[in-house]
Amino acid sequence: MTAARRRTLIQVFLAATLVVALGVLAEIARKRVALGPTDGAGWRPIEWPFPRDGWPPGRAWRNRDGIDVYVRPKLGFCGNCDTGVVTDEEVDRVTDIDLLDERFVPVREGSRIRITDLAGRARLYKLKTRLGAEDVAEGIAVAYKCDLIVAIVAGDEVADESVRKRAHRFLESNTVQVWVNKELEAH
Amino acid sequence: MIRQGVVAAVLLVAPAVVHAQSQKVGAPPESSNMRMVGYNDLQARSAYQPTIHHQGNRWIAYIGHHGGTDEIPTPVNPLTGKAEPNGTSIVDVTDPANPKYLKHLPGAPGTYEAGGAQMVRVCDGASLPHADKLAVYMLRTFGGEAHEIWNVVDPTNPVLVGRLDGLKDTHKSWWECDTGIAYLVSGAPDWRTKRMTQIYDLSDPAHPVKIRDFGLPGQQPGATGAVPTELHGPISTGPQGNRVYFGYGTNKGGMLQIVDREKLLKGPKEPTPENLRAPVVGELAMSSWNGAHTTFPMLKMPVAEFAHDKDGATRDFVMIVDEAILNECQEARQMVWFADVSIESRPMVVSNWTAPEASGNFCQRGGRFGSHSSNESMAAVYYKKMAFIAFFNAGVRALDVRDPFQPREVGYFIPAITDKTDKRCVKVDGKDRCKTAIQTNNVETDDRGLIYIVDRANTGLHILEMTGDARKVAGLP
Repeated sequence: MTAARRRTLIQVFLAATLVVALGVLAEIARKRVALGPTDGAGWRPIEWPFPRDGWPPGRAWRNRDGIDVYVRPKLGFCGNCDTGVVTDEEVDRVTDIDLLDERFVPVREGSRIRITDLAGRARLYKLKTRLGAEDVAEGIAVAYKCDLIVAIVAGDEVADESVRKRAHRFLESNTVQVWVNKELEAH
Repeated sequence: MIRQGVVAAVLLVAPAVVHAQSQKVGAPPESSNMRMVGYNDLQARSAYQPTIHHQGNRWIAYIGHHGGTDEIPTPVNPLTGKAEPNGTSIVDVTDPANPKYLKHLPGAPGTYEAGGAQMVRVCDGASLPHADKLAVYMLRTFGGEAHEIWNVVDPTNPVLVGRLDGLKDTHKSWWECDTGIAYLVSGAPDWRTKRMTQIYDLSDPAHPVKIRDFGLPGQQPGATGAVPTELHGPISTGPQGNRVYFGYGTNKGGMLQIVDREKLLKGPKEPTPENLRAPVVGELAMSSWNGAHTTFPMLKMPVAEFAHDKDGATRDFVMIVDEAILNECQEARQMVWFADVSIESRPMVVSNWTAPEASGNFCQRGGRFGSHSSNESMAAVYYKKMAFIAFFNAGVRALDVRDPFQPREVGYFIPAITDKTDKRCVKVDGKDRCKTAIQTNNVETDDRGLIYIVDRANTGLHILEMTGDARKVAGLP
């Protein structure tokens, strides 16, 4: 092979690589745009990470510290439309914590929580990641009449209360609330 | 010219479509091969389970009610002139053309599923092993707080016999009249599910004896991890069949569980995962999109297609009916599934059926569309020949189930709405958009071949009969 031919092949290879890279970047950018913008506090929408199940997929966000928040309405699922979510057993039952690890174990009793005007309960769970590492995540369930809004706060440092509080503030933000209200109104 | 023709056609068709999408007070019922024989408005109370009992020389319908609505939490009982929380309607249907409302027995205060007395079963004292032989016993739920037993030998004057308190979140129970064993759907303290089974010996209804608690492993007290879906209701084939068919789930993640009755009643009772698994002979996990409200066994059915096959010519089936819970099709379709359970450890769904949505534009009519429940009578007149499915705004649907591999509809009846029919709403742009449609919730049959349907949206009780060729399916003249 002549030097000129070799040079041409390298140039073609580099050009093709560039095209593929640009295509991948464009696809990533397209998906990012489709998912929505990052909010002022740094919460970036990510794809719903769980496989298809009986409920419509929810929405998920990740912040700069690697904390994930997964939210979805479960319409008509509240155990008691009058009292809302008042027991830890119901939090175990209705949140999506089992999607992270079916063998989750509660860390301790849960506590009451209020997300904007919706009340319910939150509970911390110990679980194992797919790689077998121990982790902690928080399950949250609040009710509006017979409808539930469930959320998970997952990622490093979730055992830290200040980290969870930051996630709770995000759950109360317009980014989440506008979407949640739209979903509830569709019912 | 062509465009003008199309416009004209659209204008001509449009009113018919609009008509099909909404029911009007005073409009005739929609029906095929079914006819209304009689009607009672049940005091405009939202209805759940009807149980028809041959009592002496009379036929009495006992109908359980949900709690009242936000607008009318305690409807007035015209017989007493008092506002009463919804409970149990007792109706003499001896003459089905002229049903006579005998008594309203108030239930628990509270609206919708929080109050009322949804469930009702009836057994003769003469058939229960240790009961007063002259009594007729009605077992009913009392809101979400108790189960009650009444002597209804005089249906106009029920007398309370006993009460099982503290059984919260009650639902669709089963009572074996020949043994007295009752499978009470409830929540028990510390169990991780809203509804599981508490089994009682009610052979002497005045002295209930607890046998055990039962549920899916993971629901028991002290368990961790994912909580399996809650119970909807069981159906037992008694000591002869030695099976109990449990349906778990409502409109999602359903499960049919086949349980050895003898092992269930006599096995170790401590609710450990091992003890909960011990009596289970088979399970069928359904799709995440479908629940299991009613699991109705149809056993030892000869299948004509397999008549000359060396094996499998006679098969066991369970008809699984899901429950739709959201208005205007805001969920996956809830429908009817036929499971071949001949090999109990490997049940398999072999067919399904739904009312065709387009046949009535049911997703636009308002309220729920989809199945809720089937008749549960095993009287010879219809058993293993026809099944009746309550399909909310599509009324009741009559299926020919003689070949469960190929169920087919042979009739339907969608009652007309009345001025008492309650509205059903969805949110549109943040505001309620309400429609009024029939919501046929439950159905039962009697030994005479009459079909009783009741309405969740307060329209009342319709007593029906089959007509035309459909009667031949059941061998009716």
